Amino acid sequence: MQQALEAFIERVVFGAEIQVTDPASVDELLRSLQVSELECQALRLQLPRAVVYRQLVQSTLREAIELAVPRLVQRMGGIFDEYLQKFLREAGPRTHYLRDVTAEFLDFSEPLWETDRRVPRWARDLARHEALRIEVAACRHSSFPDEPEELNLEAAVRFTESSRLMRYQYAVHELSAELSDRTEPEARPTDLFVYRSADHDVRYLELSPLAASILRNLLSHQPLGHAMSLAYADHRVELDELHLQSTALLLADLAERGALLGSVPEPSGAGIPAPQN
Amino acid sequence: MRAPTFLPDAEHARLPAGVGLGLRWEFLEELLEAPRLPLAFLEVSPENYMRRGGYYPEALEQVGTRYPLVTHGLTLSLGSIEAPAPEFVIELRAEIRRVKSPWHSDHLSFSRTGQRMTHELFPVPFNQNSIHRISERLKRLADELGVPMVIENITYYMAPGSPEIPEPEFLGELLEASGAGLLLDVNNVFVNAKNHGFDALDFLRRLPLERVAEIHVAGHESSKWDLLLDTHGAPVAPSVQELLAWVLARTGPLPVLLERDNNIPPLSGLMREVEELQAVYEQALGPTPNGGSEVAFAASP
Repeated sequence: MQQALEAFIERVVFGAEIQVTDPASVDELLRSLQVSELECQALRLQLPRAVVYRQLVQSTLREAIELAVPRLVQRMGGIFDEYLQKFLREAGPRTHYLRDVTAEFLDFSEPLWETDRRVPRWARDLARHEALRIEVAACRHSSFPDEPEELNLEAAVRFTESSRLMRYQYAVHELSAELSDRTEPEARPTDLFVYRSADHDVRYLELSPLAASILRNLLSHQPLGHAMSLAYADHRVELDELHLQSTALLLADLAERGALLGSVPEPSGAGIPAPQN
Repeated sequence: MRAPTFLPDAEHARLPAGVGLGLRWEFLEELLEAPRLPLAFLEVSPENYMRRGGYYPEALEQVGTRYPLVTHGLTLSLGSIEAPAPEFVIELRAEIRRVKSPWHSDHLSFSRTGQRMTHELFPVPFNQNSIHRISERLKRLADELGVPMVIENITYYMAPGSPEIPEPEFLGELLEASGAGLLLDVNNVFVNAKNHGFDALDFLRRLPLERVAEIHVAGHESSKWDLLLDTHGAPVAPSVQELLAWVLARTGPLPVLLERDNNIPPLSGLMREVEELQAVYEQALGPTPNGGSEVAFAASP
């Protein structure tokens, strides 16, 4: 009976509306679950009340996602709800943690948005940018020694686990926080370094293309010297005093902000988050 | 007045009797800034702090230095066919130890359907199969989590099929078979009684009150479906306060928790509701200094 009840509830709360309101469809489901006629009758009688759960579950999940990506929800309007229904029907939340439902929804929806002309091209960037706030705020940090390791050109560099390097095709970070604002973001490739400060604020730093390349290489566990050489070569920049100094200033700034923790002691690489593009 | 089944060797399983409050982020900062309030304890949902860094776990640690904490989970899905994922149980154990919770409670319900998590509580069928499956699971979880398990009676809006055993007797048999304690939510009893047309006092009379480890009270609201909803979004109704007094008069001092999850007033408003419940508590038992006595609960062998 428990197995049948779980399948019944799954259909009621996540299924297509027609599958819930049409008694014949419910009967078919119950028969396929080999529920006794007595139990079938009991559950069929409960259908109107079971529908209460559909609204409770769906509003809880919708609110959790809207809390994480409020501007995306407002800007997408009915299309958002269409994708939410699709997500609930075809995948559904798997996580114990309500805060992680948004990531599951976005993982499901984003590939579909690519081919849906109704979805604005900047939707993916805005979604990831908004969702990042809770992700970074809630990220677990390992404990490290108070004194950071000195930077060493031969070694990789360690960042806090909440550090993220984001690349957007649209400058979504410049959009107003107002939910009613409908200004289109500028189509401009943008690199943001995102981290959590010591006082638990989520901070965003817009980077030059060269700085972004250096950090991307570092976050890919390249030793500092190699990370710099590669980035300088990619951007056809001379490894001169001026550029070395500005790179040193960037790294010192990130260390002061508590995002960069110094060189990775040998062996290098473990535990550094991969870059996100 | 009957004394609850509190075993003397349960050194780890202690929680002050008196009125406590469900900790919510809406007033977490205010609570930290305020002087120590007359709260016997605070209850936390571990899922909100597990696998998480940043402000909230740090704040919880500070709260834990000032108030006794007890964990009340939302997603173990005790009634599901599938057992909770081992990695979730390991994380939960770490969180329970971190806040030094004397026991762990969750709901007598299922919230997972196959691989999907509904984040809602659904009633299990009241039958022998459920008793067997859930009691075995509770015994195993008590071992894995390292603390006694306590289960809460839920509000349900639909009946889970035709019952093989009436709900109070189902609860009694399950508690007996599992050795778990009962987190008696008197608001849930009241709401179910109204929605399903039974007598709340008769229901309570048939429960093994000696197994109650903790009591929950909360507010409910009417809905468009002609059902009372257990919203935790309103003050505790006088009828629910009466049920609370009735239970306390029969169990003796217990931890009593005020839950508020929606329309949360400022902390000062919540503390007025706590005071009101404290008055009900004292009237039912005679004056007891809040936090002055400890209640230990242990699973029976």
